[in-house]
Amino acid sequence: MRAATLFALFAAAAPAANPPVKIGPRTAIRVPYWSDGSPAGPVSAKVNGQPAKVTRTLSPDDDLMMLLVLDLAGDLAQADPAREAVIAAAGKLPPNAYVGLLRAQDGLRVLSDPSPDRGPLAETIRALNIGGRAGLLDTVETAAQLGDAVLAKSAVRVAILYITDSSIGNYREDFTNPVVNSGDSRDMSRRFPEGLVKEKISRLSASLGSAETPLFIVHLNYQSDRISEAYQTGLLEIATASAGTAVFCRSVAEIPSAIDQAFASIGSHRSLEIQLPPGKARQWDVELAGEGGALRYRQRISGRK
Amino acid sequence: MRSARLSAALAIWAFAAAAQQRSPVPTRTELRKAVDEFLAQTRAMGLRADSPAAEAKTRQTRGAWHGRLFHNVRNNFLDAVPHEIVQRGGTKGLLRRNQFGVNLTGPVIVPKLYDGGKNTYFSVTFEGMREKVARTNLRTIPTMGERTGDWAHVVDAAGQQLPIYDPASTAPNPAFREGQPVNAANLKFGRSPFPGNRIPAARLDRTAQETLTLYPAPNANAGPFFRNNFFILAPEINRADGIVARVDHTASDRHRFGVGLNYSNGSDGQAPWFPSIANPGSVPRDRRGRRLTLEHVLTYSSRNINTLTADLATDQSENKPLLDSGGQPFPYYRFNSTYLGMGQSYPVSRNARNTFTITDGFTTRWKEHRPRAVIQMTREQVNSFWPQYPTGSFRFGAPYTSLPGIVNTGHPFASFLLGGVEVAERSVVASPSYFRRSRFLFGLRDQWDLRKGLTLSLAVNFDGATPRVEKYDRQSTVAFNRINPLNGRPGALAAAGLDGFGRAFQPYQFKAEPSASLAWNILGKTQSVLRAGYSRSYTPTPVYLGQWGTQAFNGSPTWVSLNPQLQPAFTLANGFPPLTRPFPDVRPDSANFTVADLIEPTGRQPTYQSMSLSVEHEAGFATVVTAGFGHSEGRNMFLSNSGSNPNAIHLDSLAFRDRLNDENFNRSLRPFPQYQKFDVYSSWPEGRYQRDAGYVRVEKRTSGGLSLSAYYEFSKQMDNYSGPGGVQDYFNRRNEWALTASNTPHRLSLSYMYELPIGGSKTFFPVSDWRRFVVDGWSLSGQTTVTSGEPVALRPQFNNTGGVVEALTVNVVPGVDPHVANPSPDQWFNPAAFAHPADFSIGNASRTHPTLRMPVNQNHDLSVNKRIPLSPERSVELSAVGLNFVHHADWTEPDAVIGTAAAPNVNAGRIVGSRGGRVIQVGLRFNF
Repeated sequence: MRAATLFALFAAAAPAANPPVKIGPRTAIRVPYWSDGSPAGPVSAKVNGQPAKVTRTLSPDDDLMMLLVLDLAGDLAQADPAREAVIAAAGKLPPNAYVGLLRAQDGLRVLSDPSPDRGPLAETIRALNIGGRAGLLDTVETAAQLGDAVLAKSAVRVAILYITDSSIGNYREDFTNPVVNSGDSRDMSRRFPEGLVKEKISRLSASLGSAETPLFIVHLNYQSDRISEAYQTGLLEIATASAGTAVFCRSVAEIPSAIDQAFASIGSHRSLEIQLPPGKARQWDVELAGEGGALRYRQRISGRK
Repeated sequence: MRSARLSAALAIWAFAAAAQQRSPVPTRTELRKAVDEFLAQTRAMGLRADSPAAEAKTRQTRGAWHGRLFHNVRNNFLDAVPHEIVQRGGTKGLLRRNQFGVNLTGPVIVPKLYDGGKNTYFSVTFEGMREKVARTNLRTIPTMGERTGDWAHVVDAAGQQLPIYDPASTAPNPAFREGQPVNAANLKFGRSPFPGNRIPAARLDRTAQETLTLYPAPNANAGPFFRNNFFILAPEINRADGIVARVDHTASDRHRFGVGLNYSNGSDGQAPWFPSIANPGSVPRDRRGRRLTLEHVLTYSSRNINTLTADLATDQSENKPLLDSGGQPFPYYRFNSTYLGMGQSYPVSRNARNTFTITDGFTTRWKEHRPRAVIQMTREQVNSFWPQYPTGSFRFGAPYTSLPGIVNTGHPFASFLLGGVEVAERSVVASPSYFRRSRFLFGLRDQWDLRKGLTLSLAVNFDGATPRVEKYDRQSTVAFNRINPLNGRPGALAAAGLDGFGRAFQPYQFKAEPSASLAWNILGKTQSVLRAGYSRSYTPTPVYLGQWGTQAFNGSPTWVSLNPQLQPAFTLANGFPPLTRPFPDVRPDSANFTVADLIEPTGRQPTYQSMSLSVEHEAGFATVVTAGFGHSEGRNMFLSNSGSNPNAIHLDSLAFRDRLNDENFNRSLRPFPQYQKFDVYSSWPEGRYQRDAGYVRVEKRTSGGLSLSAYYEFSKQMDNYSGPGGVQDYFNRRNEWALTASNTPHRLSLSYMYELPIGGSKTFFPVSDWRRFVVDGWSLSGQTTVTSGEPVALRPQFNNTGGVVEALTVNVVPGVDPHVANPSPDQWFNPAAFAHPADFSIGNASRTHPTLRMPVNQNHDLSVNKRIPLSPERSVELSAVGLNFVHHADWTEPDAVIGTAAAPNVNAGRIVGSRGGRVIQVGLRFNF
């Protein structure tokens, strides 16, 4: 018990994780949006119910930087088709779409810098070793910070795409709450084993709520057990919170179309830069309106902690 | 701090300036800016190979430790009183349970020695549990009057006086008509009831009376007929402490290592049913578990991966009974009735199971194929010291105090009072057993993309297992090809390594296990997937804990009454007859007249086959609907002693009627007369089952944090072995083909997880001031299951078959509907549709009824969680888990015992209670 107390004190004193990269005070926000048809006129915006000035509009024809993060640590049976599908989809991107390649194992790492050249990108992807521990949950905040930093400094559209086969049981951190004392037959704490996953997702949702870069996830390996359900629902939650989405492949055959779909969504996204009203706010409620097609966009962005 | 930030900013600026010159020059200004920023940020974040080492390492290790502290509490204050306790007039029992622990995860850092950075990562969890819980039970023990021999008030299940006969008055009936059935009008032996149904004090066995001093007095009066008169409310203390630890190390992109360690110690207190050495409850036990896992992953190239794993595990347990002043446990007394016995089986025992496994898997890709090969070697060790009855087992039956040949007379406890032992056994364990077995598996799998949208998986495992051996060859069985010197018939004891027998008694087992599956996107559309699968597999004979199959070295001499109606095996006052042979005794007749351990000699393995077909369809609105069908079957299933009896007497022998009570005659009818029975220890391969099921699953998942899964299954499972009593006809398994005792045809379950859409950035109450601490962070998880009842297994109240049939069924009364219009606890089914089989005959009803079902069961579990963020990296989480949170009561099973016409079971077809109760646990977790 004494050891546990000491451990508790130590734990409480443990420093927080890396602070986000400072990108200056927020005077404007970038809101990605999609139009079901071509908007006939300009898009107007409101922030917290008040009209806000739109300082920049980017369309699907404008420059795009895609941060492609590979989180492949499982079965080659899924990873190989995913690699080929990514290479094929990247090949269809226009020249003003730069793709930077990163991997999520053992922390986020750059494999190739953003470039319009698809040949080296394909080579790097094909040469990538598959293995290690799943990395999405450990790296997604860093990827979002990176995307936001790029967004803040340039007038390009930026999006993050994770291709992952991650299983919640394959993380370095243990989210599965495994049985420690197998003889404890009256243990109720594992009746609902998803608690740790949900806690991590809540933490990430809060953190990514202030990010402006849309996050897309293609998960290659759908699983239907309870804890995987919680994990995959959580991935959908954090992706949607950032205006992106998550797709889950139930068979190998679905992988190419899911990746195509993610590339298409990223390529077709539009971006508004909206000037924020002065003063501090915990969150901004955004309303967009435009003539023509219906607009799909993220309606709430949190202030940076 | 400020200067550090300034220098970081300068570094970023300087790098950006340099990178601007180095990087490929984008044609567009904004993209150039974006790339420059990407380069600068990734360098500053330590994400690049060319990031300054110190920066990268600091970024990765500083503050990267995460973890949690947790404490879960259960207390009787939180729980509802279970329905079954309420019905007994009881109140809440004591419950104090604390489960606590800590977890820490992060890079391995040894100050001034090692900084694991990205490469070496650990996770360690400690969990402890302390529990004090009062266990309740309602059982029947003899009344104080019965203990002194006063049976005047004792009644049968119909409420009529149960007569106790004096075995000393037994005399042949000169009027007995030979060849006619024995019945009340044609008795073979006459016997007088005790005057006034009271056994004189002088006739009471001295040892039995001494034993009874340790039998507690009745303390309840739940009834009916003086039954359910002992309410047990006893505390037990349980504890457990364990650690799970893991270290992962990435040596390079090609080499990764992992080490895992599990460690657990615990003790199961087991609430004593009696506050004395005669306690018949479970024996307190200490447990220890250790496990070490080593893993190496070698990535030869992007398409070739090899994973090598070594796993060492041990699970140990040791029973800790109360012992007398001489260090001996109390003997084992059992009365073949509803009365609670005395003493415990396996009171002093130790077991250890050690497993060593090495697995190597290689995965590659070749054209459209993704083959995988696995090789696995396993070494199993079971070390056991496992005497079942070290100070003896004494069983008492009704026949000794009955009117010979007439059921519903006499009583096992009355036989005990007279000291008349029906069957006795004593375990003589001279040494522990050290069993060994090796397994080898080689598996090949290929996943083949036949064409777009169609994937085929083919696999085959070659599974081999050596038979069980004992380290010192202290193993034995009954060999059917050996002649027994007693009677010159086949079946004699054989010891390992002696008389031409090998070290093992089974052959090497080797089987090929094929499987195939396909996934097809129907008509090329990704919304719909058709899946089909087939597999065939086998199970090698398990190495069980215990010392079964060592009878030549660790004997179990048995004494059986030569005619339970007429004479005991011996009387308690006289004690065990002396052992005539010391152990080890490897002679062929060593196990004669005992329940002999029999190892199945052919090595037949249970064979499983399964086929499945399903269609998944994404129906829109983030909803996936799956419908499927599955068929599975098993042959050569391992059966226990209730399901298999290679020494069974054929049912035709029932024609001998009362002569079967003569043990010598009875033995002469057995295939192996020299043995009482065989102990096959859940290893006799003659069971069969078949299961067919159709199901529909609907899954819905939304970005708002809702996950919902509803599942309905209709199934039918048949087999030839399951049930509460066992098998009636060992010689005709087709007659035993009936619904599986555990089959529940309808099963509906609903599983859900929901982040409530309130507070913070959610839809409702998006407050951002202090109220967010209250409103934000609520989530629910739940599971509801409703299952139809299991089939009713009807059985007769008496079994007068001379020991030929162990599990009788009842007779069906033609023309009488067993169902009632509105089943209720007062009448769940119509008992008049069934009849007790006549003496020395079997029932014609199936083992489990094809249409009568027990009541529906339902269960509703819920977890409510509230997360309170303290900082981006720290939070507190409160949780409450409620099992059966609606406090629903499920009715208990109806009384399925059918009495005779003369002594009907007045409760047959009725449900006498319900069970279930809300259980709540609250928890607190601090995440950092």
